[in-house]
Amino acid sequence: MGNRKFYDFCVHAVPDGDNSVEELASLARHFGYAGFALTNHSDKLSQKKPALPSLEGFEIFRGIELVEENPSKLHGLVGKFRKNADVLIVHGGSEKVNRAAVENSSVDILNHPSFEKSSGINQVLAKAAADNEVAIGLNMRPLLHSRGSRRIRLLTDLMANLDLARKYDVQLVLSSDAMSCYDLRSPRELLALAELFGLEESEAVDALSTVPERILARNRPSPGNVREGVEVVEEVDFL
Amino acid sequence: MKHLMPSLRSKKRYLAFELFSEEPVNRGELVRDVISSASALLGDVLASECDIHVLGFEAGKGIIQCSHSKVTETRAALAAITRVNRLRATLHVLGVSGTIKRATEKYLNDDAGFEPNLKAIEE
Repeated sequence: MGNRKFYDFCVHAVPDGDNSVEELASLARHFGYAGFALTNHSDKLSQKKPALPSLEGFEIFRGIELVEENPSKLHGLVGKFRKNADVLIVHGGSEKVNRAAVENSSVDILNHPSFEKSSGINQVLAKAAADNEVAIGLNMRPLLHSRGSRRIRLLTDLMANLDLARKYDVQLVLSSDAMSCYDLRSPRELLALAELFGLEESEAVDALSTVPERILARNRPSPGNVREGVEVVEEVDFL
Repeated sequence: MKHLMPSLRSKKRYLAFELFSEEPVNRGELVRDVISSASALLGDVLASECDIHVLGFEAGKGIIQCSHSKVTETRAALAAITRVNRLRATLHVLGVSGTIKRATEKYLNDDAGFEPNLKAIEE
């Protein structure tokens, strides 16, 4: 574990969720997170862009979870929101939307892919997700708030997607998908749940730390960044 | 009946925790939902192996005992709690220790308690 920084990459605040960003952030910081991404659903955004509060020792990233049934409109929304979002999530749940999401390399994470009798991912989509570096989101809220047959279904889907992710090297992101303060769980608790659900410890840590950091690095290039893969580390005067 | 020799007793771990809930809840209510969550998430067989007991719970903080080899499962069962006595709640494990004394000293004795501002929820 050491000095790893953990990030919760799916948190909903008012008007989408129940609590304000400040409340969620102070509890998340208390739980030991280094930061979270505010990802309200795109159909429940407030009119004006909310100002993100600043909290010492805690980072809040601008994110969005796109909800759109029509693939071409979805691609349009991705283009519209990409520039201002550190984290761009697509709320999946149908074959068309899942496919559109994993085939668009501007998308960071696909959440809730499962629908009807399918886990939402197959070998074709898994391969596309790996090629386009779209991560699959493992959201805890639905798993915790359901019991019995519904939770069994959700876990079956999660394990099916986990198998595919391992085979095709798809990245995973572990998040709370919190709609209120009471849906937040500390990093250690999320890791324990993930391990119980079949992830290796290292996979779980990656899904809560390494992969989120990679997504940030991609969307927030460092000042010395020239282009993808080329970075000015140290400037030396020749002559 | 004669007590078990110390070397034969099962080894335990003690989890210091804090609970954030909409309204204060008492120990009995918490016990019921801890056991029900463990039973639902892990099944009765694995839950029994975890040997979960709420040893004390006062003012939102307390100690839960579990088997030393089932700390991850116990943490997961505690994390799976969404409501206590029908009130929304979230349980945060502050730390794990091998003795009650150490768990209390290390994790429960600091006075700098955390007071999240949750007023907005009731409105």
